[in-house]
Amino acid sequence: MQKNEQEYLAILRTRLSGTLPQENLDDILSDYAEHFRIGKSKGRSEEDLYTSLGSPEEVAREIKATYMVTKAEETRSCGNILHAVLSTIGLGLFNLVFVLVPFIVLVILLGLIFLAGVMFSVMGPVMFVFALLPILGISSFDFWFSPAAGLFFSIGITSFGILMIIGDYYLARTFYYLGIRYLKWNINVIKGTESIV
Amino acid sequence: MNVQFKKGVLEICVLSVLAHKDCYGYELVNEISKRIDISEGTIYPLLRRLKDDGFVTTYLQESVEGPPRKYYRLTESGRTKEHDQKEEWMQFASSVNELLEGVANAEE
Repeated sequence: MQKNEQEYLAILRTRLSGTLPQENLDDILSDYAEHFRIGKSKGRSEEDLYTSLGSPEEVAREIKATYMVTKAEETRSCGNILHAVLSTIGLGLFNLVFVLVPFIVLVILLGLIFLAGVMFSVMGPVMFVFALLPILGISSFDFWFSPAAGLFFSIGITSFGILMIIGDYYLARTFYYLGIRYLKWNINVIKGTESIV
Repeated sequence: MNVQFKKGVLEICVLSVLAHKDCYGYELVNEISKRIDISEGTIYPLLRRLKDDGFVTTYLQESVEGPPRKYYRLTESGRTKEHDQKEEWMQFASSVNELLEGVANAEE
């Protein structure tokens, strides 16, 4: 591999095309082309400029992560945040611990709360029916509490389940917002490594 | 020096250089890499983020030596950010220095 301008720009283009919109990519490439152009006009060699710029792969990873995070910020979706997280993890081994692990823990936590919410809001109505049966005279099961208490209790459980689902939604939104801010900070601070491709 | 450490302060360095004067990319990169050894290529993505966040704007200006160059200029909010971050950094740095000197003196 030759360390020249063409090679540098080619690596950036290959790594970023398909991810970034074309006009974005052209703009980025023109920045680096300008850098080489001015550098050469000051008498520096392409190889020297290439070496000082450092790895184009690292630059590409950083640009990609920034783009994904911005996209996830603009349009909230599971797919977008997943891409944002994955591309940030690509920035360095560090982020396996500082991004991937917290992300998985949060997803599991939110998932569990949601499941519990669904369980309660399904269980409630079922209990309601069972408590209603003896009152209507179609007696069936013998509860350890009175049918009237059963009715109240089942309504309580249903509401609790629904509240949990609503709460989970707001919790997810909050984590989403904080997560984006954290990823942005992370990109500014985490230095790319060569070890992850 | 730890590379991890350097990247974190790159933003304040860029803002600070631009607070003195508008620069084109190569010039800015040069100003910084004269003093700090970094991968110069990562300054451009940083500039892009600063622009997206509204701290920096760009404009094209003709040059004597060739095609027009892209200049970077701090916005009003960029100036505020520069001011705040500089103050924070100064305080942090002087505290760390005091601490390090204190420890050094205690060792003697």
